[in-house]
Amino acid sequence: MTKKDNPTDRRDFLQQSILGSAGAGLVIASTSHVAAAASTDSSEPELINEVDVLVVGGGTAGTIAAIQAGRAGANTLLLERNAQLGGTMTTGGVAFPGLFDAWGQQVIAGIGWELVKECVELDGGEFPNFAKVPQRHWHNQVHINQFLYALLAEEKCEQAGVEIAYYEFPQSVEKTDTGWQVECAGFGTRRRILCKQIIDCTGGAEVVGLMGLDRLREDERQPGSFLFKMDTAHNPAENQLHRLYVHGADSTNSRTVTKANLTGRKAILAKVRNAKQRLMHLQPETGFRESYRIVGEIMITVNDYTSGRVFDDAVAYAFYPVDLHTKSGVKPKPLKPGTVPTIPLRALVPKGSQNVIVAGRCVCSDRLANSGLRVQASCMAMGQAAGAAAALAAKTGSTPLQVPLASIHGVLRENAAIIPETSAV
Amino acid sequence: MKKANLGSLRRRFTSLLTALTFTVLAVTGVIAFVRPFSIHIIGLHALIGFLFIALVGVHVVNNIRPLKGYLHSRSVWVSLVITLLLAILFFRQPGPVKSILGLSANIGPAMDRFELSDSEMTFHYTPAGSYKMKLTVKTGAAYRIDNPPAAAVWLENQGGYHIKSLLVPEAAMISRLPYWNFKRKGWEKAKREAEKKAGVDIISEATPNGSFDPADYILPASKDNPMPYQLLIEIDQPDDGQPSLVYSVEVDNSDPRAFQLLDLVGYPKRENDSGDKETWALYYVDDQFSSALELINSALLTIERQDPPDAQKKSGTPKSSAFQKL
Ligand SMILES: Cc1cc2nc3c(=O)[nH]c(=O)nc-3n(C[C@H](O)[C@H](O)[C@H](O)COP(=O)(O)OP(=O)(O)OC[C@H]3O[C@@H](n4cnc5c(N)ncnc54)[C@H](O)[C@@H]3O)c2cc1C
Repeated sequence: MTKKDNPTDRRDFLQQSILGSAGAGLVIASTSHVAAAASTDSSEPELINEVDVLVVGGGTAGTIAAIQAGRAGANTLLLERNAQLGGTMTTGGVAFPGLFDAWGQQVIAGIGWELVKECVELDGGEFPNFAKVPQRHWHNQVHINQFLYALLAEEKCEQAGVEIAYYEFPQSVEKTDTGWQVECAGFGTRRRILCKQIIDCTGGAEVVGLMGLDRLREDERQPGSFLFKMDTAHNPAENQLHRLYVHGADSTNSRTVTKANLTGRKAILAKVRNAKQRLMHLQPETGFRESYRIVGEIMITVNDYTSGRVFDDAVAYAFYPVDLHTKSGVKPKPLKPGTVPTIPLRALVPKGSQNVIVAGRCVCSDRLANSGLRVQASCMAMGQAAGAAAALAAKTGSTPLQVPLASIHGVLRENAAIIPETSAV
Repeated sequence: MKKANLGSLRRRFTSLLTALTFTVLAVTGVIAFVRPFSIHIIGLHALIGFLFIALVGVHVVNNIRPLKGYLHSRSVWVSLVITLLLAILFFRQPGPVKSILGLSANIGPAMDRFELSDSEMTFHYTPAGSYKMKLTVKTGAAYRIDNPPAAAVWLENQGGYHIKSLLVPEAAMISRLPYWNFKRKGWEKAKREAEKKAGVDIISEATPNGSFDPADYILPASKDNPMPYQLLIEIDQPDDGQPSLVYSVEVDNSDPRAFQLLDLVGYPKRENDSGDKETWALYYVDDQFSSALELINSALLTIERQDPPDAQKKSGTPKSSAFQKL
């Protein structure tokens, strides 16, 4: 590791801060632990990091991917363009992960469940009873406190040795002999990252886009939603936020996100004026349902999904009805009893690529399959699988698809993941 | 003289009234048969009917002497026998009579038919001429014709609210089918409250699910707003020491299918509810079940649909009262 400093320095620094400021709150650790590059040339980065695994996007999937990679021994850096971890679950306010269960049994566990469980327990919340048949498909989702989740996610990252870089995003990605060179920017920050593996968890496979690899996108996409609460105070994990559809919402770049936010907020302001009620809660950003998906080594089709096809290289289960939101509303199509779809590792790997893997809603799938696969528990399971595959690939100097499936399964099991029985292993 | 005049006036008046009320009765009777159920027509038919009975009474008193003459003729007995035979025939409703009744836009849809044999239970429900539902339940190994299980069949909307019972169990069996009973009671209560609030939907689902009219679900007026509904069966063998089981299937008219199999959903269990408010939920089947799983071999729902004429679709008339309003 040629990173310019050592993460333990930062821990010491934080610890000292805590001790030194007992009772007076935390002193914020500066980022001085990453040495500045000497050059003042504006085209040169100020910071250079060399890591095993770079996770871009600290959302639903990315947080779990980073923790898993860190726990598997990879030196991991997590880049997040926003101010906190959790993505759609926290910044978007959809603090409602599902589904961890199917037909009376838990089918997704692992690091995602560990985090969700801790969050509910610390919050004094309640778990759904998985033995009970949900009246509506979403009844067994877990209500969590979005604020607490973001804090616990940070803590778990830190415990796994993951370094977090907020407000940063990649601007270019170049292939190197051993992996990738990624140029990143944040305000007042220019960073170069040399990494062996990249896990793209940006939701819309933005890094894959930067790499020039193929992506898919529908002409008409599902609307986003802006979450807010009027009239009564928001009680996290207890009640649901109001949702306002933002048609055309697109998470692709800062311009489209800005546009979605402006549109959503304007509509909410109009609602407040109209209803003459107080605005009690407003998420900082639109929640985006759909943008790009990768063209992977295999595509999960709606038939694979609804028939519960067990792929040879399955790394996780997924469970949710086919749930496409359109202009005329949502029409969930439940899965047939006993059916539990699976996610193959190949659907996370961009076609013809090396040293890159994705996780989250950008999984290679047709539109209808994606409408079920994109939910949070499945995104978390994909994140964990991608984290394990990338860490093992970095360790062995190979690419995720070359890592023996049994090793990936082994790492996942060590972290309590539930893995479909495949004939291949 | 004066008296006689008055008497004949009364007679003529009664005869005319009897004839006219009979005309109204006959016309409304025919309308009630060929047109969908209408509270106005049936109300008119019933009330005029009472008046007619009273008038017939007066008419008989007025004409008691000539009528007495009939008593001695043979024809009175023949007429009586014919009437009696027809009454029995129409009451028993054998096949041909049923098919005549089936032609009625009013009675036809209400003719839910249930047939039982040792290999299957068949249940017909025809909410409209263009929409015929048939549920065929093939009996399983644990089914005994001499001691058949208790069963209920009903429809629910997407919000999980009971909207219509198609097969109601015998009163003695109701306690064996707690899930159906819970759903039906909840629905009756919700309906009562909704009626109290006159027009306000108290079922706090998105409006489509707030309707109490099964027609809204089975024959939605607009294709753009399909309202899928569930058909459920709860079945229980009283003496097998196992709870009842619930099977269901979702029907979505925007994705019409002629044949759909019902799936086993779970078994009902009473929730730890507070006070006297009883709540039941379904749980996934576990290892306490053995023979109960063998009561039903398969349950197949067949729906025969004919597209209603375009004009009907647009004006929303299919929603009209081909249904008995519940
Ligand atoms: C309104 C709404 C309701 C939903 N309801 C449910 C529900 O009830 N239950 C359920 O389970 N699922 C639900 N979903 C789906 C689910 O929340 C998402 O599909 C899922 O969270 C996506 O996870 P992800 O990790 O792919 O993306 P995200 O969680 O969105 O994470 C992406 C992260 O990447 C960051 N990022 C993006 N681009 C860059 C970049 N260039 N550089 C750095 N960082 C970047 C983002 O800031 C974000 O933090 C809902 C979604 C929406 C929008």
